[in-house]
Amino acid sequence: MATVTNWIDHLSAKEVVGAVYPGAGSSETLLVILGVVIWIGWHVLTNKSESEELSRLARKKHGANDHKSNITDW
Amino acid sequence: MTDQLGALTTIFTEFYYWVTVVLMFLIHVGFCMYEVGASRYKHHQHTLMKNTMLIPLVTVTWFFFGWWIYWAFPTGPGLAPSIMNESAALITDESTFSAKWYLPNTEFMAINLNDHISGVFWAAFLLFSWTAASIVSGAIIERITTFAFGILAIAIGSVFWTIDAAWGWHFDGWMLKLLGYHDAYASGVIHAIAGGFALGVLMVLGPRIGKFSSSGEPRNIGPRNPWLVTIGLFLIYTGFWGFYAACNIPIFDLGPEYGMEGVTYWTATNIYVTPTTLSGITMNFLMSLSGGLLAGYVIAKGDPFWTYSSGLAGVICASAGNDLYHPIQAMIIGMIGVVIAYKLHYWVERKFKIDDAVGAVAVHGYAGVVGLIICGFVLNGYPSSGYSVGAMWDGSTYASINPLGQFLGAIIMFVVLGLIPGYVIAKILNGMGKLRIPREVEIAGLDYEMMESAKGDEKAVSSATR
Repeated sequence: MATVTNWIDHLSAKEVVGAVYPGAGSSETLLVILGVVIWIGWHVLTNKSESEELSRLARKKHGANDHKSNITDW
Repeated sequence: MTDQLGALTTIFTEFYYWVTVVLMFLIHVGFCMYEVGASRYKHHQHTLMKNTMLIPLVTVTWFFFGWWIYWAFPTGPGLAPSIMNESAALITDESTFSAKWYLPNTEFMAINLNDHISGVFWAAFLLFSWTAASIVSGAIIERITTFAFGILAIAIGSVFWTIDAAWGWHFDGWMLKLLGYHDAYASGVIHAIAGGFALGVLMVLGPRIGKFSSSGEPRNIGPRNPWLVTIGLFLIYTGFWGFYAACNIPIFDLGPEYGMEGVTYWTATNIYVTPTTLSGITMNFLMSLSGGLLAGYVIAKGDPFWTYSSGLAGVICASAGNDLYHPIQAMIIGMIGVVIAYKLHYWVERKFKIDDAVGAVAVHGYAGVVGLIICGFVLNGYPSSGYSVGAMWDGSTYASINPLGQFLGAIIMFVVLGLIPGYVIAKILNGMGKLRIPREVEIAGLDYEMMESAKGDEKAVSSATR
């Protein structure tokens, strides 16, 4: 996976290759796909949990000042 | 980098933008504090998390496509040919400043030993994106779902503001060429668009429960914690220093860039690569801030919330031309912007029942629009770009700065790229039932369950004996 195994060889080359991250030149597209999946997946997961949380709280029909009994003193 | 002077210039530029990014981070810290201070106790934690989560959402989408849009869209597409390849299509060719290099799977979107600038420049623009999204966040507190806000934040932060930056901020932008658009420190490209976007969302979202009486009279809600709001706004001011510096290019030789034979002229430039000084814009920043504070204190009758916001509005109003204004011009323009924004805020609130919880539409949107229009008159006739006299632009010349161009630019920013997209996306989310939290939750408080759980923990801990 290592793109660079010897800095002296790497930096003394006639044209220094700029990209030095692991998997340079072969893994970028795969990484982007993985990133997009994580991003979209986050929206799906949090949308689901937020909807459940809001529905549960809405069913309880608390009053506008009920939260005051839950203010902590610590 | 084998030449020592070239290396110093490059590393200095890299470090310069890095510092601006760190400073601009304070804008977001300030926005978070400001929003929490403005919201009611029972909504605090959700309000904080809503604004916080825009950081990763806008960042990852800025990486995936936002940055690419900035480099691809200066021509419109189809509105004015590029000075780099003379085509009016999207700029995705092999030229130096092509969007091609900023696709997320290219080697320049990572650590690259041959490119010390792209990453910090990407980050500086990203921090502008956070600001745009955060402006919207404040206006809509206490009643929007986090899911909906996430989508809206991505839309304004990684799509619409970056289109407007490509059009009106990029040195190759069609608005510079055809309209003579000038907006050095983003009265329009950040503030007017974000204010317009927020207004579009508010039109669909509706007011907080209790904001208006049955007869339609507006009621004042908060701010709950004026001290948090105060610190938040001071931090936004502080971050704004970084914002101003980030809008400049710190060191540039304009001679060869403009095609002036034998001329060497090293200077700082604004985003349009026309000369200014960091020294001069620092004076203008402070004078426009002062103008805003002076006018705000008078018009709001010493109300701290509006006085602080007016300082910000003063800077925002003068920002379009603060690269060239005299400091006293900057101060007066800041004062004018504040008076108009304040008056418009309350007129719109009463007339259209718009509940802008923190005055974001006024401070950013109206002040930004006013600033663009004033800039058209005060800087009338100045070149909108140095390239109009140089070798890089051999088509028709760039339009010079003018009142009509600035007015049209303000409409494009506030309405076309701000209000309309905000309204349409909010309508879609509302149609899906995803925009607004249930009425019962708004009354009980978004944090009800968290508070209830914390109270339970407190009781358990206080009754514990070991």
